[in-house]
Amino acid sequence: MINVKGLKKSFGKNEVLTGIDVDIAKGEVVVVIGPSGSGKSTFLRCLNLLEQPTAGEIYFEDELITQRKYDIDNARKKMGMVFQHFNLFPHKTILQNLTLAPIKVKKTSPAEAEKIAMELLHTVGLEDKRDTYPNQLSGGQKQRIAIARALAMQPHVMLFDEPTSALDPEMVGEVLEVMQKLAHEGMTMVIVTHEMGFAREVGDRIIFMDGGQIVEQGPPEQVFGAPSHPRTQDFLSKVL
Amino acid sequence: MKALKPWFACCLSMLMLFFTVIPLASAAQDNQNVITVGLSADFPPYEFHKNIDGKDQIVGSDVEIAKRIAADMGATLQIQDIPFDSLLPALDSGRIDMIISGMTPTEERRQNVDFSESYYISRQVIMTRVEDKDKYTSVDSLQGASIGVQKGSIQEGIAKDIKGAKLTSVDRIADIVLSLESGRVDAAVMEGPVAEGQVANHSDLAITSATIPDSDTEMAIAVKKGNVELLGHINGTLAQLKQGDQVKKFVQDATALNSGEQQKSNNIFTIFWDYRQYYAKGIQYTLLLSAAGVLFGFLIGLVISLFRLSNMGVLRWIAVTYTEILRGTPMLVQLLIIHYGIAQTFHIEFTVLESGIITLSINSSAYLAEIFRAGIQGVDRGQMEAARSLGMSHGMTMRSIIIPQAVKSVLPAIGNEFVVIIKESSIVSFIGVADLMFQAQAVRSITYSALNPLLIAAAIYFIMTFVLSKLLGMLERRWSVSDKR
Repeated sequence: MINVKGLKKSFGKNEVLTGIDVDIAKGEVVVVIGPSGSGKSTFLRCLNLLEQPTAGEIYFEDELITQRKYDIDNARKKMGMVFQHFNLFPHKTILQNLTLAPIKVKKTSPAEAEKIAMELLHTVGLEDKRDTYPNQLSGGQKQRIAIARALAMQPHVMLFDEPTSALDPEMVGEVLEVMQKLAHEGMTMVIVTHEMGFAREVGDRIIFMDGGQIVEQGPPEQVFGAPSHPRTQDFLSKVL
Repeated sequence: MKALKPWFACCLSMLMLFFTVIPLASAAQDNQNVITVGLSADFPPYEFHKNIDGKDQIVGSDVEIAKRIAADMGATLQIQDIPFDSLLPALDSGRIDMIISGMTPTEERRQNVDFSESYYISRQVIMTRVEDKDKYTSVDSLQGASIGVQKGSIQEGIAKDIKGAKLTSVDRIADIVLSLESGRVDAAVMEGPVAEGQVANHSDLAITSATIPDSDTEMAIAVKKGNVELLGHINGTLAQLKQGDQVKKFVQDATALNSGEQQKSNNIFTIFWDYRQYYAKGIQYTLLLSAAGVLFGFLIGLVISLFRLSNMGVLRWIAVTYTEILRGTPMLVQLLIIHYGIAQTFHIEFTVLESGIITLSINSSAYLAEIFRAGIQGVDRGQMEAARSLGMSHGMTMRSIIIPQAVKSVLPAIGNEFVVIIKESSIVSFIGVADLMFQAQAVRSITYSALNPLLIAAAIYFIMTFVLSKLLGMLERRWSVSDKR
């Protein structure tokens, strides 16, 4: 579904990604872990071109999205993204947050968009918040709404950029629960996270990144249970 | 959408106000057979405002002459009240056909316009406070005294020749009176009949016995240079008037008409009540000007701020140049350039109201553009990323996500700008828009009360800005619904 070849990204002289090759299959849940500054967030943000890669190619559903003149909005419609800081639209109600993009971008009828939105609010357990504004919600609720907002576009893949890092510890659970439900439903997911327990439980594949490249990858049992690379071993010994 | 409604209501009411007043203001144009005379109607008995049967009219001997000329030509007369200073530019730019405003044909003026035969000769007198009447018996006694004159007038030139005198030039006759009464100037050089009118209405003023040598001045009618045809008509009418010595009679009649105006009381409340219609009309224009200025300024300012934040260098350059020039030059200069300069250079004639609105709009747009820029840059970057990640285009994101948040965050600053515009709109009275300031000046010249009409105007301006600030405060609170925790 997503194929990345020789992806490089520099900010000025600072080379953040030094060459990444990875293929993500439909229905796969890929969890990216690694120390701070290893480039995992940058890698994720390159997948929907929120960061413009310096070099390399990215294919999404067999289309080369890194080519010039490619209409990236077209790909973004099918790639949901969830941010560390939620980024809900503060001047819109919860329902409007969910229906805005479907109505404007996909030209869904308002009635249909509302129907989809209400189903999603039901899924994340926040139906009663439909007419409130984001600032009236707790962090955990905001992130669940942010997930629902991305899902309202009915994407083919979901990208999660440290979705629980800005949350108070007692709210992490409710967000992970929603993500887990999503994984069980067969959604293709790429998740950057520090929640090792969650990664182990939900991930089909774990990618360990360090120094702007993929150091080791494989099923969770292998990466967590028997890491082969010394840097992976070192990192895991610190976080587990 | 709910949060936007008060704003739309606001815009809508502004527009409605705009369209109800515009036709009333710009009617009666575009008639081949109209002759427009420009005059500075604060010069009794030659030209002045008078309340006749509850209606404000411009009357005086010059107006009578203008009527006669128009009648002889079979044309309809239209009168434009323009400050004396701005009469020549108005003629030059073709906004008026002729000036009949007690104007003396000096060499300097002859270089720019053509004059008719002279129709009246006036003598100059020295006016002063009653207690100083005997102090200034000759021109020589004026040495070291400060003298008030009207800016751009022939008296200014005469006073310049008085040895050792210090000159204070002001816009209006009423300002000279105020300066005399408050002791800021010691004496004033004025046209005889004009001074007589003032003395009749101010018991603390008097005309001295001093005579000014070589100060008799002719009055003539000015037309645009080379307009021989009109000049011929004018001279024909003047010749006829001269035969019956009619101009003198016009001046006498006008002097009588003017002295009948004597105010029963110059009490501030009486003035306000008697001239409430003037002020009401002035308020209407001031509100129209400010509302249109803010509305168009808002829209233009938004576009300029987007230019400023654009990726294209050319657009950024345009925006920076636009804002810097407009913020770096006085609004009065902009107003005069738009009103007279554009008419002269491009032959596009805006009405005074249009010129006023254009000036206020572009001027406020420059300030609002900077306010918007700060607002847009103040919106969290994550908002743009989140919207783009949902497949929304850049423009779509700006429209439905970034700009609404930016506008909301800068609403207090926009309200502030609205208040500033209401106050600064008073500047358009300079070209003759009948706004609150203009009406206050008219009332000053009618009532001979120099200060009270201004105090009334100040009170009205204050009430308007104060009420507006309160209303904006309420609007702001309603908009902040989504900020509640």
